[in-house]
Amino acid sequence: MQKISKSLFMFLVIFLMSGCAEDWLDRKPQNIILEEQVWNDPKLIKGLLANYYDRLPAHTSLTSGWAEFAAYDEAMWSNNDDGRNNIVSYPFNRWSLWEYGLIRDINLAIENIATFGTSLSAVQVSQFSSELRFLRAFVYFEMVKRMGGVPLVTKQLIYDFKGDPTNLQQPRNREEEVYDFIASELDDIQDKLGNEDSNTRANKYVALALKSRAMLYAASIAKYNNLLAEPIMTPGREVGIPAARAQDYYEKSLLASQQLLNSGKYRLYKTNPNLGENFYEAITKKTANPEVILAQDFLVSKDKRHGFTYDNIARNVREDNLSSSSITPSLNLVEDYEFLDGSPGILKTRTADNSDYIYYSSLSGPFENKDARLYGTVIYPGTSFRATPVEIQAGVKVWDETSKSFKNVESNVLGSTYDDGGLLTGASGPQRSQTEVTNSGFYLRKYVDQTAMSSTRGIRSDMWWVRFRLGEIYLNASEAALELGKTSEALEYVNAVRERAGFGANSLKSLTLGRLQNERRVELAFEDHRVWDLMRWRKAHEIWNGDASNPDAVINALYPYRVVRPGHPTHGKYVFDKLRAPRFRAPRFFQMGNYYSSIAQSIIDNNPKVVRNPYH
Amino acid sequence: MNQLLRNLFIALALIFVFGACEKDNKPAPSAKLTGRVVYQDQAIGLRSNGVQLELWQHGYQLFTKIPIYVNQDGTFSASLFDGDYQLVRLKGNGPWVDNTDTIHVALRGRLELEVPVKPYHRFANVNFSQANKKVSSSFTVEKLDNSKSLERISLYIGTTVIVDPNNNIAAASIPASEVADLTKPLQLSVNVPTSFQGRDYVFARLAVKTSGVAEMLFSEPIKIMLN
Repeated sequence: MQKISKSLFMFLVIFLMSGCAEDWLDRKPQNIILEEQVWNDPKLIKGLLANYYDRLPAHTSLTSGWAEFAAYDEAMWSNNDDGRNNIVSYPFNRWSLWEYGLIRDINLAIENIATFGTSLSAVQVSQFSSELRFLRAFVYFEMVKRMGGVPLVTKQLIYDFKGDPTNLQQPRNREEEVYDFIASELDDIQDKLGNEDSNTRANKYVALALKSRAMLYAASIAKYNNLLAEPIMTPGREVGIPAARAQDYYEKSLLASQQLLNSGKYRLYKTNPNLGENFYEAITKKTANPEVILAQDFLVSKDKRHGFTYDNIARNVREDNLSSSSITPSLNLVEDYEFLDGSPGILKTRTADNSDYIYYSSLSGPFENKDARLYGTVIYPGTSFRATPVEIQAGVKVWDETSKSFKNVESNVLGSTYDDGGLLTGASGPQRSQTEVTNSGFYLRKYVDQTAMSSTRGIRSDMWWVRFRLGEIYLNASEAALELGKTSEALEYVNAVRERAGFGANSLKSLTLGRLQNERRVELAFEDHRVWDLMRWRKAHEIWNGDASNPDAVINALYPYRVVRPGHPTHGKYVFDKLRAPRFRAPRFFQMGNYYSSIAQSIIDNNPKVVRNPYH
Repeated sequence: MNQLLRNLFIALALIFVFGACEKDNKPAPSAKLTGRVVYQDQAIGLRSNGVQLELWQHGYQLFTKIPIYVNQDGTFSASLFDGDYQLVRLKGNGPWVDNTDTIHVALRGRLELEVPVKPYHRFANVNFSQANKKVSSSFTVEKLDNSKSLERISLYIGTTVIVDPNNNIAAASIPASEVADLTKPLQLSVNVPTSFQGRDYVFARLAVKTSGVAEMLFSEPIKIMLN
């Protein structure tokens, strides 16, 4: 018995000591993924790519910096806090971006695919590295439009621990070099990208779209910077593109736009016969949308979602008990939408001699025959959202027979009733001093989700963010053609976009840059274009000059009232007051030093070869 | 036992309250740098919160500028530690000719500094008058540097002593194209807006804009009685 137990013991000892020795030391780690595993598995590489797409910088999008839509002249801020209504001047580092973290990750990925991706096919390797190079070009474009020339780092920098980092310190490239790099990268990769039918990953047409935009920026900086009394530049041209390059850049931009438009791959969205709804859907409809070229997509069921709708939905259609109404479009923007007969979009609220109001029988009266894009972008009085009327009425105007004038009656209770049984103040305001209700008299429609429950904090929204769409490419092509003197071609492009907005065919017979600038403003509102467009035309310091008496630098509002004048023909009609938005404080003030953002001192300390931008 | 715990607790609380924050507090900066931005001993009028001078100090790990904002009357002040600083007139920042020569500042306790600059233009013989709620001014503009040209001259009125393009109730301008001869006196006038006509006084100030320079040079704000 004892013998048996002894041998059993021995057996156990031998079993334990020798058993799994080999496996034990050579097991694959469960919590670390090795380079060989990542770069040989297309699924893992796609996972990484998804992460890089997600990190692409944007100044204002649905997720990053969305509140800054209310910091320019498209809109004001009507939620709590008044920071964006009271920006005394834009700080010099406002648009600063030095995104070498992402650049390094991309450079590393490009090198590692080449080193480790042995079991990938040659096509896969070239496709993935082209896609990574597209992302890198995108990031460099985001940097050059904010900072001017930046160091072009295209391979990983390795420190040798010998105490001297100078070989890693790269000076800034010239501004035009960065734009040229973007162009040559895009030319090189566009035929290798694949992803033909994707609108969330880069393909040939996405590369053309980026090229069309980037070359247009370079061209207009080359042209308009040099038309300033004192062009902004540094001696080494880290900032400032020579005027002679403008022609070349405009041609490159136009060619890229033409290739995209002529490919027939994309069409302007014209599915809905209601033109206003159609324009809203052109940007927000995620299926069967032939217009969207590249978007950042979201999906509630995978918990990839955002609160943009929660924060910006109109007050009386909100489904949560907090927030709503943050970004509220300005009257300035609303009036920039022309009337369909081609006349300027100034709303007619007073008679021609300014002696009396114009009396409208409906709240939407002044907006009749406006550009359909207004409806698709802005919720204005008398319109609905999700089939619920958005009640926008500031109060009533009661006629006082003794003084022969109207007296305003407004209530701070939303949806309140006046003595005569009619509506006093609408359930969606506007309100002069309350928060979470519009202060400008308008609400945002573009990018606000129609899906039920998408404005609750529990569910939120999976509205996508459009990075490129065909509407912009038409306008890019038109601008480049106009600058190159090809006016008839320019007219063809811009009229295509206007036709979709309800203007009829060939609505413009002649074209000026000013007209085209306005067209960009109304077509691309709330798509992260306005501030960059004004910068590249070098107009930002004139339009936002910080002067309280400049109507472009302040945010204006429109307050509708119901007339109470029993026995008079105007009784029950609507009149409209234009006013400076009551919660708006400091006029927008853009200084020369804002054209190129400041480079943080810590960056200069780490790399003394980096020169500062002008004015700071 | 209870008593003991309580005493202990009180003792601990006392130690905490009185002992705590001695070590981690640094003395506040006690030295003071004050001064003016001058041309020929005259302070230069500027936009409030607009123009900045830079102060740098070498020898410490954190090397970053100390911005010094210049008040609208051309004065500035900063609370600092004793030490040797370098003051730089930031290029393209003020309404004067670029001069990047460093000014060395040896600060020991208190120092008053005059920062010399050369403006492109300046005002002379400024007179204001008021009649029927209309503020009028007459003045001459002197050109001090020929490298840049005149862009416009503006008159601002405001309700407080801070008057500039960002803080005003009314303004009027003459563009350079309407100024034929700078040696002759010029006139500018502006009506007080109706909603401000009940006031006892307003402040008025002139500004000259040089093309290619963002900031303007101002005259002194003058209080003008309306009644």
